[in-house]
Amino acid sequence: MKPESHRGSPFAEIEDRWEAVERRTPLLPEGLEAIVAELREADRQERIDLLLDFSRRLPPLPERLAAQKDAAHRVEECQSPVYLFVELLDDQVILSADAPVEAPTVRGFVSLLIEGLKGATVEEVLRIPNDLVERCGLPEILGMLRVRGLSGVLRRVKTDVLRARASSPRRDSAGDGT
Amino acid sequence: MGEPYAHPEVLVSADWVERHLDDPNIRIVESDEDILLYDVGHIPGAVRIDWQRDLQDQIIRDYIPAEKFAELCSRHGIADDTTVVFYGDQSNWWACYAFWAFTLYGHQNLRVMNGGRKLWMDQRRPVTTEIPHYPPRDYVLGQSRESEIRVFRDDVLKHQQAGKPLIDVRSPREFTGELLHMEDYPQEGSLRGGHIPGAKNVPWSRAVREDGTFKTAEELRAIYRHELGLLPGDEIVVYCRIGERSSLTWFVLTYLLGYPHVRNYDGSWTEWGNLVRVPIARGS
Repeated sequence: MKPESHRGSPFAEIEDRWEAVERRTPLLPEGLEAIVAELREADRQERIDLLLDFSRRLPPLPERLAAQKDAAHRVEECQSPVYLFVELLDDQVILSADAPVEAPTVRGFVSLLIEGLKGATVEEVLRIPNDLVERCGLPEILGMLRVRGLSGVLRRVKTDVLRARASSPRRDSAGDGT
Repeated sequence: MGEPYAHPEVLVSADWVERHLDDPNIRIVESDEDILLYDVGHIPGAVRIDWQRDLQDQIIRDYIPAEKFAELCSRHGIADDTTVVFYGDQSNWWACYAFWAFTLYGHQNLRVMNGGRKLWMDQRRPVTTEIPHYPPRDYVLGQSRESEIRVFRDDVLKHQQAGKPLIDVRSPREFTGELLHMEDYPQEGSLRGGHIPGAKNVPWSRAVREDGTFKTAEELRAIYRHELGLLPGDEIVVYCRIGERSSLTWFVLTYLLGYPHVRNYDGSWTEWGNLVRVPIARGS
């Protein structure tokens, strides 16, 4: 039971993580957990193929968002032009993204996030550990230097989720009281 | 059509590569920023050599020992007299980086495919996902050329103090110190932002066109000779963040414009920005 005043403070996310651990709440939303498990069990070539499959499956950006591919939505950490859009439907996070076909690694990773986070709530997204990329076993196929851009994507998703929540009309802290 | 490049033979066209796909004396090598691109599809017969997994030592910040390099080549069916043609994404950054690394070990016959991967794909030339296997070749190591083309921090300091030309090829925001390091690249980060005093900022990308091909000799000369004032006999040091973008500029200056004394400082900003008591300049 944390005081309402902690909401939005830098510690809120850490507290949420601790609570999750203490209550044995799964760290990953169900869909994402399944994907991570599949990647972890795969060997090197299968992992590459899975990531390439995700890359091919990235859903096209909805038309209303395509017009907003501007600097504000670009993920700066990525060499390639990657655009992320986070929208909230009640407490549910809706993620859309665009990434070039010629950057299959990051394109595959955003596609993986979109698929894995279908139906995830704000709290679930914020609870995703920052080492998700490592949990997926991607450093083994990509090398340490390359995975940092991907961690940047996850961090960007979380920041955007916090921002979207802050700017959405406050409801009676739905989802906080569980 | 204007003046030719200083060493035009190092640059080959996509047409040339397509005519030599089955030439046993030629090995085509893809080197990319995005390691999965090769799996998406590559030039038939091309092998992948990755700067990070293959060319860099996994423990010490250095390139692999010469014997390992010989093994790497042998494994990919490259003999010491094989002509190696590099191509890759990002306007051939990594292709030039691999070219530079191969030069360190003294490999002689090296080429870059102008336009890189993008042009090949845009022109819808043949692509395959099949991974080729070549019988191992004997590789006899040549004379190392490290001292000619690579420079370490102490010599960079002397170079700086002597007021010799330094080119910083990073983006303007990295050069001014506004951007300390790329967010989420902490291990490629630096404690201090800015540039080596006296360095001129010419982002690497000014040397290439939209389609990934290099600019003409005249266009390049206008930048490096006239705008920057580099003289033919100058000793020049180029650097960026980890030495990859600057190897493209090294390639341009050395082979396309013919400057004979260009060295790449691969320690680059990730080393300089962390060194104690070296001079640093901020702003433009």
